[in-house]
Amino acid sequence: MNRALRRISIAVLVMFLLLLINVNYLQGFEPASLASKPGNSRAFYAAQNQYERGSIVTSDGVTIAASKLSTNPDDSIKYQRSYPLGPEYAPVTGYDTLYSQTGIELAENSLLSGNDSALDVRKVIDLITGKTTKGATVEVTINSKAQAAAYNALAALGKPGGVVALNPKTGAILAMASYPSYNPALLAVHDGSQLIKNDNQLLADKTQPLLNRALEGTYPPGSTFKIVTSSALLTQNPSTTINTNVDSPTQLTLPQTSHVLTNDLGETCGNGSGQAPLITAFAQSCDTTFGKIGMNLGASTLNAMAEKFGMNNPNLTIPLPVAQSNYVIPASLALTAFSAIGQFSDTVTPLQEAMFAAAIANNGTLMKPYLVQQVTASDLSTVQVTPQSVLSQPVSPSVANSVGQMMRAVVQDSNGTSFAFNAQNEGGLVIAGKTGTAETGTVTGLDDAAFTAFAPYGANPDIAVGVIIQGGGYGASAAAPIAVQVIQAYLKTLRNQ
Amino acid sequence: MSSITAPSPTVDPTGPLVPVARSRRRTELIMLAFAVALTAFAFANVGFSLKGTLPSGIVEYMAPFVVMVVIAHLAMRRFAPFADPLLLPLAALLNGLGVVMTYRLAAQGNLLTAPLSSSATEIQVVYTALGIGCFVAVLALIREPRVLQRYTYTLGAIGILLLALPALLPASISEVAGAKIQIRLGTFTIQPEEFAKLALAISFAGYLVAKRDVLALAGRRVLGIDLPRARDLGPILVAWAASLLLLVFESDVGTSAVFMGLFVAMLYIATSRTSWLLLGFVMFVAGAFAASKLFAHVGERFDIWLHPFVGQNPSNNAYQLVQGLYGMASGGLLGKGLGGGQPYITPLVQSDLVISAFGEELGLAGLMAILLIYGLIVQRGLRTAMLVKDPFSKLLAGGLSFMLALQVFVIVGGVTRLIPLTGITTPFLSQGGSSLVASWMLIAFLARLSDTARRPPPRPIQDEGLTQVVTL
Repeated sequence: MNRALRRISIAVLVMFLLLLINVNYLQGFEPASLASKPGNSRAFYAAQNQYERGSIVTSDGVTIAASKLSTNPDDSIKYQRSYPLGPEYAPVTGYDTLYSQTGIELAENSLLSGNDSALDVRKVIDLITGKTTKGATVEVTINSKAQAAAYNALAALGKPGGVVALNPKTGAILAMASYPSYNPALLAVHDGSQLIKNDNQLLADKTQPLLNRALEGTYPPGSTFKIVTSSALLTQNPSTTINTNVDSPTQLTLPQTSHVLTNDLGETCGNGSGQAPLITAFAQSCDTTFGKIGMNLGASTLNAMAEKFGMNNPNLTIPLPVAQSNYVIPASLALTAFSAIGQFSDTVTPLQEAMFAAAIANNGTLMKPYLVQQVTASDLSTVQVTPQSVLSQPVSPSVANSVGQMMRAVVQDSNGTSFAFNAQNEGGLVIAGKTGTAETGTVTGLDDAAFTAFAPYGANPDIAVGVIIQGGGYGASAAAPIAVQVIQAYLKTLRNQ
Repeated sequence: MSSITAPSPTVDPTGPLVPVARSRRRTELIMLAFAVALTAFAFANVGFSLKGTLPSGIVEYMAPFVVMVVIAHLAMRRFAPFADPLLLPLAALLNGLGVVMTYRLAAQGNLLTAPLSSSATEIQVVYTALGIGCFVAVLALIREPRVLQRYTYTLGAIGILLLALPALLPASISEVAGAKIQIRLGTFTIQPEEFAKLALAISFAGYLVAKRDVLALAGRRVLGIDLPRARDLGPILVAWAASLLLLVFESDVGTSAVFMGLFVAMLYIATSRTSWLLLGFVMFVAGAFAASKLFAHVGERFDIWLHPFVGQNPSNNAYQLVQGLYGMASGGLLGKGLGGGQPYITPLVQSDLVISAFGEELGLAGLMAILLIYGLIVQRGLRTAMLVKDPFSKLLAGGLSFMLALQVFVIVGGVTRLIPLTGITTPFLSQGGSSLVASWMLIAFLARLSDTARRPPPRPIQDEGLTQVVTL
């Protein structure tokens, strides 16, 4: 039997040799090709959780996302992400789950996680000095007071909507709120089954809390689009001023249709003579006037001006991707009239609403909106600073001045649609704005309410705000109060400085 | 492994011409201390890597482990003083590493699949105690391996019954991951096949010793190969049919292969007749091929093996295999270090794919070391088979050693994509009781057999003139 045993031994030797050769091949030669195979997430996860993730802070120093050592001794991942202000900042921070990120957590992931090549030198220094390497801290441009005002006002109203506030001179985003929102901490849990449960709950929620309406929600601009129409008119016809009388009929029969365009509730425009100064038509938001102006200008002129204000741009990032605000060229003259008053297929984001006012406030120059102020490494040295840049110049300073005067009239003149927030009521603060109430796009039965404004009116406005409330009703009653609260909150912090 | 040199006897030229067999228990103790130290280091390594401190339970887990291996060592001294000194330390080291890996996987839970319960390590330590208890019991109760020969048919019947039991029971208490291989009693599960393999190995040895002459000699020669008589084909046909039934009714390809391989190898050792090997191999391959065509779940394993990265496979059927491969690839040559990798991404990494976790964290170097440890155990077993004199013991030692080798080959080969992956346990390393206890019993049988082989003959009576005792 020993001969057979010897042969069996040789067979066993061969079996083990095969295993050893195969293991050598697998672990010695294959790793590079296996690392790039589909579904291989090990390298990603390893990098993602290697260092303590950096914080996200507002420009006035409020921490809105931070990592600390997990208190759960059985935790598989060393650091637990927390979001101290949760839903208020969810549109800004996004979330950082075990598997994916959104918002700033995604846009600045490599710096936050500490894996960006920009941090390589500091890692070497950390290695030499024996310090623990940490991810970089991202400082966003958000002002915590403005953000709180925006979110609290939205929550108090209780209707879905978004608010964006910009510094018109720089493009820095001062506030960005969306409602209903969610707490990103729900998605930062390390328990896999709990994470899936929470995620499914949020995804199934009919109020769409995960949708960042400030950047991703697009709604009809309504009469706020009259800023674009007026800008196009004043640019096209330099002889026209804000006091020029323009056709302002009570009823306007649209060409090639029997459709009669009227003003809201069938009101007359101006003194009812059929002619009214442009500024009056703007302050009263006469649809007949701007419908007529739009038809006279033509869709392509309106389209060009809308694009200069930032619409039809699919590539805008702040660095979070921004949904495209659409101006669709209508097929007929009648529809052009509708598009000129923001009632055709046009849709805009709350950010775009803010950009309308910001361009006017900044003498016609539209600064590129940005959310990240700067990134600092754990040793407090600056890694990168977002440079300010001009996105476009929609109108000349003189046209901007004219449109600004008309926006001032909306709030300050007794016949303006937003007179409730005049300087007397606002403690001397002069706000300029434009309301929008879009009858199209109604989902809930009520109109979508929009408001875009800047303040203080004058040579140096500090803030421009865009607000859209889905199903809010009148822009003046639903959207404008929120914008005013954000403006007041922000200007108060400037005064206290 | 083919080294068969007998231990060089220290011959005292002035003394009697008898090899002085040394018990080598001290060597065993030193090696055991080494195994325990390695295990303790591995434990500490996990703790420092995951938490930056010594693991909280290191004393609670290591103390019982040390006590148990010392008991095993004392039992060897008492019941099998001449047994091979490497068997116990090698088994203890593998067992220790298995406990450490269970601790490591329980400390850092799976993310998406069901997490390993926090008491998994305690349970594994209890199973270790149970395994070493059975090890001691086998040594204490079976003092002479030939006693087992009496129970050839009893053990055969028990083995078949244990194999068939899960197939006969309703799926609710026997099915796990699509295979019907366990018996679930509340939270406690037994995999009877682990014990069936031992019972059947003993039974085969007894049967083949009785019948080997007729199986070896009768037959005729066709094309240069001695073919057995048709009427002698009975046993191999029964074994083949049983392994195929296992394949079909329990979806347990791995055990089926180990079972068939064990029988064919023992048949070959008993008869030295190559035709049995060929016949057995051809029958198994033909059976497996037919099954892969007839039964979707068997065919699927071939598809996973051949095309793991194609189409939906990486995220679907082949997910487990592919994640195991990714784990080992990320480990590379030296590994991520215990506690440094992400083995928990791989589903069921604590049982079937535990070797991929070792590959990921200990790297190629560690994985080769583990394979060599298995190789050494098998080599010690085969060497015992060479040394031991009576045919039953020879067959049993050869069969058990080959079975261990085959099991390691099937699971490690499967995990590393050398052969199709089939779910069987990795001896000593996989989390789970039945496999661990059965593995310890296998080591106990090998120790008993090697004690028999190396035990010095009774001292010759010197007054018998020129008559000398001669070792065979």
